[in-house]
Amino acid sequence: MKKKTIALLLALVMALSLLAGCGGNDNQTPSTPDTPATTDTPTTPDPTPDPEPAPEPEPTTPGGDLPRAETLYFAGQQWGTVNSWNVIGTNQNNAMAIAGTASGYRTLMFETLYMYNPLDGKLTGLLADGDYSWNADQTELTVKIKSAAKWSDGTPVTAGDVKRTFDIGVQIANGTGSTYGAYISEIVAQDDATCIIKAAVNDAGQPKNPLKLLDFLSGTPIAQTAWIDKVVERNGNDSVSILNDAGDDVVWSGPYTRYYADDQKVVFIRDDNYWGQDASMWGKLPVPKYIAHTIYADNPAGENALKAGEVDVCQQFIGNIQDLWLKDGLPISTFYQEAPYGVCLTMPTAWYNMNIPVLAENPALRKAIAMAVDYDSIIANAMTNQSPSFADVPRSLMNPTDGEQALYDHAAVKDLQWTGNDADGANALLDEAGLVDTDGDGIREWNGEKISLNACCPNGWTDWQASMEIVAAAGEKIGIEITTNYPEYSIYQTVFTDPAQTEYQIFMWSPEAASPSNPWQRVNQFLGKEYVGVSNNWSGNWGQYVNDEADELILKIPTTTDENELKDIYTRLTEIYLTEVPSFSLMYRPSVFHAVNESVWTNFPSGDDGRGIPPMDCTDGYGIAALYDLELVG
Amino acid sequence: MKNTLRQVFHSSKFVGGFVIFMLLVLTMIIYPLINPGNPLEQIGVGTFAEPGTYVSLYDSLSSPTETMRLPGADEKRLVRSLTGEDRVAMVEWFTAAGVPVDDLDMTDTDAMLDLWFANYDVSAKPKGMTMAKRNYYQRLNNNLLDIRAGDTLIIADKNDETGELEEKKQVNKTDYVNIGEVANVKTLPLGTDNFGRDVLKQLVSACGTSIRIGLVAGIVATLIGLSLGLLAGYLGGIADDLIMFITNIFTVIPGFILLILITNSVGQEQRGATLVAVVIGLTSWTWTARSVRSQVISLRNRDHVNLSKLSGHSMVRIVLTDILPYIASYVVMAFILQVSSGILAEAQLSLLGLGPRTTTTATLGLMMNWAMLYSAHTNGSWWAYFPVILTITLISFSLNLMNTGLDQVFNPTLRD
Amino acid sequence: MKGYRKYFGKKILWFVLTFIIAVILNFILPRLMPADPVAAITGKLAQGMTDTSAVQEIYQRYAEEFGTDKPMLEQFFIWCGKAIRGDFGLSFSQYPRSVSDIISSAIGWTIALQLPAILVGWLLGNILGAVAAYMKKGFDKVLLPVSLFMSNVPAFGMAVILLVVFGVNLKWAPIAGGYAYDMIPNMSWRFIASVIRHYQLPFWSIVLVSIGGQAVGMRSMSIYELNADYVKYARFLGIKDRKIVGYVFRNAMLPQVTGLALSIGTMIGGALVAEIIFSYPGLGSTMYAAVTAADYPLISATTLIITIMVLLATFLLDIIYGFIDPRVKAAQID
Repeated sequence: MKKKTIALLLALVMALSLLAGCGGNDNQTPSTPDTPATTDTPTTPDPTPDPEPAPEPEPTTPGGDLPRAETLYFAGQQWGTVNSWNVIGTNQNNAMAIAGTASGYRTLMFETLYMYNPLDGKLTGLLADGDYSWNADQTELTVKIKSAAKWSDGTPVTAGDVKRTFDIGVQIANGTGSTYGAYISEIVAQDDATCIIKAAVNDAGQPKNPLKLLDFLSGTPIAQTAWIDKVVERNGNDSVSILNDAGDDVVWSGPYTRYYADDQKVVFIRDDNYWGQDASMWGKLPVPKYIAHTIYADNPAGENALKAGEVDVCQQFIGNIQDLWLKDGLPISTFYQEAPYGVCLTMPTAWYNMNIPVLAENPALRKAIAMAVDYDSIIANAMTNQSPSFADVPRSLMNPTDGEQALYDHAAVKDLQWTGNDADGANALLDEAGLVDTDGDGIREWNGEKISLNACCPNGWTDWQASMEIVAAAGEKIGIEITTNYPEYSIYQTVFTDPAQTEYQIFMWSPEAASPSNPWQRVNQFLGKEYVGVSNNWSGNWGQYVNDEADELILKIPTTTDENELKDIYTRLTEIYLTEVPSFSLMYRPSVFHAVNESVWTNFPSGDDGRGIPPMDCTDGYGIAALYDLELVG
Repeated sequence: MKNTLRQVFHSSKFVGGFVIFMLLVLTMIIYPLINPGNPLEQIGVGTFAEPGTYVSLYDSLSSPTETMRLPGADEKRLVRSLTGEDRVAMVEWFTAAGVPVDDLDMTDTDAMLDLWFANYDVSAKPKGMTMAKRNYYQRLNNNLLDIRAGDTLIIADKNDETGELEEKKQVNKTDYVNIGEVANVKTLPLGTDNFGRDVLKQLVSACGTSIRIGLVAGIVATLIGLSLGLLAGYLGGIADDLIMFITNIFTVIPGFILLILITNSVGQEQRGATLVAVVIGLTSWTWTARSVRSQVISLRNRDHVNLSKLSGHSMVRIVLTDILPYIASYVVMAFILQVSSGILAEAQLSLLGLGPRTTTTATLGLMMNWAMLYSAHTNGSWWAYFPVILTITLISFSLNLMNTGLDQVFNPTLRD
Repeated sequence: MKGYRKYFGKKILWFVLTFIIAVILNFILPRLMPADPVAAITGKLAQGMTDTSAVQEIYQRYAEEFGTDKPMLEQFFIWCGKAIRGDFGLSFSQYPRSVSDIISSAIGWTIALQLPAILVGWLLGNILGAVAAYMKKGFDKVLLPVSLFMSNVPAFGMAVILLVVFGVNLKWAPIAGGYAYDMIPNMSWRFIASVIRHYQLPFWSIVLVSIGGQAVGMRSMSIYELNADYVKYARFLGIKDRKIVGYVFRNAMLPQVTGLALSIGTMIGGALVAEIIFSYPGLGSTMYAAVTAADYPLISATTLIITIMVLLATFLLDIIYGFIDPRVKAAQID
């Protein structure tokens, strides 16, 4: 009897679990098709029915294959699921549609007035018609709007849209408002095609910073007035609600629009009514019909996909990238064939925390550590030589582009520059400054206490972690105890942006890359007083370094137009920076990585093709021009 | 006792596991003697040097040379710089450039080269040719130029005063250097890792750390599990309910939540290998407690226990003398399993970036973590991760094999 | 019957208590982490903002919206009240997505991957173990060490090796994602085929490791039962071998069923490694992302699911055992 019960039970359990197993198998299919339905339904119901029904450009329910020969695949931009399509909001996590800075705004779906090209520093009109013009004292910037420029609903893009975009930004303090609100007093729509951007002026009537106005041109996606009004109304004019609006009904002006999004990919489809096919802009449509970005879990996954030809354009750091074509013989290339393979625009930097007395009061200590670090190791290891060395491009406040390098007098600061791995020099400097080891434990003391520091960066940021390891190793060579600490990014970001923090003593962050307002912007981040003491500081000077002379010089730069005077100021600032060493750059690095696989598409920009299209992933700033030139292989 | 030991060492499974384990331990002891120094020293500047023997090029230039005319030397050299695929690609170029190739012999290197240099144009952009392919032809062209280069290379040094190059030495294709004469030769049996560290040296050191982590975790888990299991099983009633309640709570709350919490509250800097080991122990004792408890329950009504109770022996004494010896073998086996799962747990946690935060000691998990972070599995650097997986498997396998052996000795019914 | 009722009553009482405490801990523990996710969201929003009071204002708004400005106890009751209705609040790291939305889009993948993998691994392992115990000699001599070796390959190790060998080198199966990169989910055979192809590597990485463990367990249980007195007695009575073997394996299965229930209960944690290494969508990778981002509404919700599943599994086992295992009954009477 007993045995029978057990047998029965067992049979039952087995049958049940098998059933469950089958159920599980079936589950995979229905669970996914549900997703498009949920993402496509607007989460915020529209209370006011649209009076004039706009032409519905959204295609029928997406499904099936994306034809390989019509789709350009990306990796390394979108991490995690898309949150929203609200171009005036925040936290969209929508990298392909709403992302970028003045150095290259991603204009697939939303467009800026101008496109920046970091190769030559020029601005090319997108929504804007022709060149911008300044008035005599640089307080007013006039921009014309192209007459052909249209929104996706067919209405023209007007100067009023530019004004409304800026105004709403200031009102709800979104990225646009907080970045430019202090520098632009107002935008006037003189007529539909002309807008005048008025600079905020200081007491002397001079513009606060004309450079920021130029950044606005290439860094701000313009939104449609009618749509903004709709969003404002449905959120009862409440700032935070507007920022968090899902924006599913957003109106765009760019060549692509959303097609499909789930937690594994986001797909854009070309808008064949795109205004830019007008002869006044591109004269044609971009070549790929679809833009698709698979959401990979981590770098190796994206790298594998690039190798397999499942990704055409990859914005990921790939160590020893030359192996992909040298060893594996894959049809993969970068902008330049030889190291550093890309265009380095920024310089990840180690910042000294001036809230720590021993660092604040000992410039010799700051310089000694910076001199002892083995940068060649960092560049060889962390960047696998995808960065020029500090012998190739001597350290200064400038990125390695020719334009910026020409801005300071190299000979004047030659004696102040260092290339690193100089333990002897560093030791001599420390001895001279009286920072010596008195108790014989191998660690130098200051005010009777041994000098012990930590070096921090977020956990999992491998190239930075490798750099911090090498900084710590440098400490060992010069009798300074440096330990490494890698908190999770969620913790790291709250600490390093706190102006009073003493937790991280040497910590990493990248300054600005390139944009019309650089290198001023970057110099301000290194030496400016503007950001000192600002809580929740994402803007700059994270080490809280104060130098009045430097600050005065920095304030002069934006309004200085004489080239020689400008060069003198930058040279003096470089001198201060290299003497005081409030921070030290560890490597040069591209602001976006750009590797392409030519299994399907070809004619990507390259360093020697004479087209002048920057390696900005075919999406950022003037880099988007690449999309119009692509060709299919074979 | 002696008898048991003899039995144990007669079990082929136990001996097998024991031998593997001891071999690992011996390597850990002996290898650092042969190859001393800091296992975490960064010797390579780049990432992932392949396994092999590295000869200093600089030193070989100053080493005495021997002239040898080895048959096939030229052939080998040629194959290195001009593969069959390259020859096919050259023909493709000729075709694209409209050069007739009908009577071209692909094995005739000289003819191929002549035709190549007559027709190749660096700046040419044949229609439909990808950038990657054009880059390939440029590299190929450089290789071909090297093949055409003369038999002698000149080593020159820069004169500090004049800044001009001065010839120092000539190197001929027939010059050979005895590897024993070269001052600096380094053999890296498992290459280097992402930081340029000797993988084998690090592996040996990490193996030791990981076994220590396993031991600490195993001891902590077994001590807690054993004491709670003994108490619950022996006392029964409310005490039993309460202990099982705590055990259940530890079972249902994911261990890694506790781990993150504990490690965060002690600060990142203290999150060393020992702490992680202790925390692993603190979260993995539950099944030991459960099984000890059920063993004790089945023992506590045995006659000899009852007799002890009647004689008025204290609880401690009863547990120690009348219960513990009967479950000792069981506890030993549970301990071995805890050790092996502790090693696995450390590896797993480190892989997720939740392991020890240390850069001064190597652990198997951290080695694995860094290899994965630097895409070793994607870029073909098998030496950076495969030996680690194999080592973890071997440690764990040897422990479990010993355990199976013990099981068969102590449970005669399991003998086959 | 009264004994049973008392036994189950007590069991249920303890389970409810465990559940309550576990829920409380699941709520509190992630919130003890030092990161301030509200500050993180504010940070994203306030990038470039120079006006300190504006930043403070935004911080306050979010603190109110997430309720983090209230005392922990109050937060807990609010959370419980909503959680009962399936509302776990908004995620911090994927703000403004809701936790329920994130979980519902992930859980299907995890179940679809894990449940079949656990069952197949369990079935194959048990069959192998039983066959080994029965055949002994040759097969067993090879099978035991091999199974033991396989079961000791760490889960991530197996996943990486499969990825490199079958994905990267042999290109037999895709190595990342839940479906092909050039597809959009739909109900077509091509899509289903694509899902199945992407399913292979994560699936086998779980199966191969679990087969070994199950085989070892089943083998020793079977040998134990084969050597039991009742078998000898049955043989002595001349009962047919086939019939005896049937009984033996049925008995040996019992502890194996326990293992099966427990591994189904803990499957979310078990999916972690396979999902991460193969970029497979699912709860494991969701939980991992939540932990690294200190997204505690999401952590609490995922750990709650784990807690409930483990509790249910152990509870069901206890109930079943209470009915079928006379030893448990005896222990209760004692």
